[in-house]
Amino acid sequence: MKILVCAKQTPDSTVRVKVAPDGRSVDAAQITWAVSPYDEYAVEMALERKDADASTTVAVVSLGAARAKDSLRQALAMGCDEAILVSGPGAEALEGLGVAKALAAVAQEAKPDVVLCGRQASDDDQGLVGAALAEALGWPHVATVTKFAPADGGPAGSVNGIDVWKEVEGGHEVWRAPGPVVLTVQKSEKEPRYPSLPGIMKAKKKEIPEKDVASLGIGASLPKPEIVKMEPPAARGGGKIMKDGDAKRTAQELARLLREEAKVL
Amino acid sequence: MTVDAPVAEGSFDLELSEEQELVQRTARDWARERVLPLAGEIDEKAAVPRELVAEMAKLGFMGIDVPERWGGAGLDTLSYALVLEEVDRACASTGVILASHVSLACAPILRYGTDEQKDRFLAPLARGEKLGCFALSEPASGSDAAAMRTAARRDGDAWVLSGTKNFITNGAFADLTVVFAQTDPAKRHRGIVAFVVEKGTPGFSVGKLEKKLGIRGSDTAQLHFADVRVPDDHRLGEVGQGFAIAMSTLDGGRVGIAAQAVGIGRASLEDALAYAKEREAFGQRIADFQAIQGKLADMATEIDAARLLTWRAASMRDRGERYGPEAAMAKLFASDVAVRAARECVQIFGGYGYLRDYPAERHYRDAKITEIYEGTSEIMQLVIADDMLRAKG
Repeated sequence: MKILVCAKQTPDSTVRVKVAPDGRSVDAAQITWAVSPYDEYAVEMALERKDADASTTVAVVSLGAARAKDSLRQALAMGCDEAILVSGPGAEALEGLGVAKALAAVAQEAKPDVVLCGRQASDDDQGLVGAALAEALGWPHVATVTKFAPADGGPAGSVNGIDVWKEVEGGHEVWRAPGPVVLTVQKSEKEPRYPSLPGIMKAKKKEIPEKDVASLGIGASLPKPEIVKMEPPAARGGGKIMKDGDAKRTAQELARLLREEAKVL
Repeated sequence: MTVDAPVAEGSFDLELSEEQELVQRTARDWARERVLPLAGEIDEKAAVPRELVAEMAKLGFMGIDVPERWGGAGLDTLSYALVLEEVDRACASTGVILASHVSLACAPILRYGTDEQKDRFLAPLARGEKLGCFALSEPASGSDAAAMRTAARRDGDAWVLSGTKNFITNGAFADLTVVFAQTDPAKRHRGIVAFVVEKGTPGFSVGKLEKKLGIRGSDTAQLHFADVRVPDDHRLGEVGQGFAIAMSTLDGGRVGIAAQAVGIGRASLEDALAYAKEREAFGQRIADFQAIQGKLADMATEIDAARLLTWRAASMRDRGERYGPEAAMAKLFASDVAVRAARECVQIFGGYGYLRDYPAERHYRDAKITEIYEGTSEIMQLVIADDMLRAKG
């Protein structure tokens, strides 16, 4: 089975981002970049399939700035077989549909059985690209996926449909999709693996080919909604500490505050 | 007469390579997510974190600087120092298990072993399937290693070892020991020979486990050799080369302990910083008092200086240069910095710093050993001064 994972580089979720002086973008100076968390689950999910069947190959593609190569290198170190960077002028400014068209061009060339995307990116939380990519490819799409496996039957070595586990309210469902298919990932079975040191050394030796986004023939870009203002969440107000030593009175006061002020009771 | 004191020489490049950054990040993420939450419990229970050792094996830490040919990751000494700093930032016990295995067991076999010995002994160590240790110190000889009493007597195609080794990190659960013994006491250091001895060899046993002030989650054991018969093909290097093997191994080990000290220092600084930003006194955060700021600034400066000395020694080793005195400087300085940073960390925490509920007192207890093992600070001074006096007349 051939898997293509689409991974976006976003600010590391452990970094506290700051609004830039222009008031409409994130201050890039102090940012550590990483693979977006849901995309990292997608990488892990692909590698779990590879663990189960060593003949599986996993390619990972990222569209964005040249620095996204670092994140691709990390995906290679985790165990992906190859990586492709789609970059060049205009790549970062593409809106979601344009990104989907560019990734579709990469997928058409790579001919995977399954394309995995995280359900949404941690920077804009739009959740558009996976579904739009399926549309651009004319492939089916299954969302909130937690696991997948090739369906049983059919000649050895061929992919006879894909069984897909998806999370639903209160449980999960198993869907069967004809291949090829685009899956948007909710969570992998295990937490994303750490790159191993031998993996890092193997990744170091691999070339990461770069494709110019302009060469992919995605046509005119759609008008892109722009961010006009960014605000950090309001600072949390100070908590209330009840210092009355009497437990009964304190409990009564706490119940009153929870009911009347916090309105949670 | 004027004499030149040693000056920093060579290239000056502080930029880490792409893979070194990835190594650092991997180690940091793993240590923060997997090791740090367990560090307090590891110390409290004085329990060797075997599951973390298994994870380190899977990540390739156990053979980090061993070539791929023998199952290692094939990285350099600087990468090793980066990993140790991160692991020791989280837990110094876990750090010393790793450092003893890599610096003291893998390194001498890699440098002095035959290809056959590397296939047989080094590869399983580098893959993390087996754990190694290094047995040099004895009850009556620490810094003065040449005074060792453990004897090696030739008997046909084998050797018979007898004696006791002391303070052996990983000693109780290591599968393989690099051990040093004397063939002829009259020859002093020229009579010493090194062997690889496997667990389970008849006559070889683990004695008492030491109860320690810090690094309580690493085991420190006495090893007994009661007429242990070791085949000659387990000998590392030549007869009489053992002392040189031990000393060159300790040079590398000192880079590791310097990195450990930097990690403990950083733990002290980061914990103190977090506490100072939270704790209030006299109506403001204690971080807003100049007295606290002065401590934090000194800690940060000293830790960074220690890190740079450590990286320099590691880089010199990677370039194949002579690095013994620089490794000694790094360890001498970094261990002193770690102890001071940990003491200030306790001080910033105030009364809470004295309690087991907070990590400050653990850093204080863990830091002290870095001034003692793999050569005390006084031995580091001796190494540095000796080099200076010899080289410069």
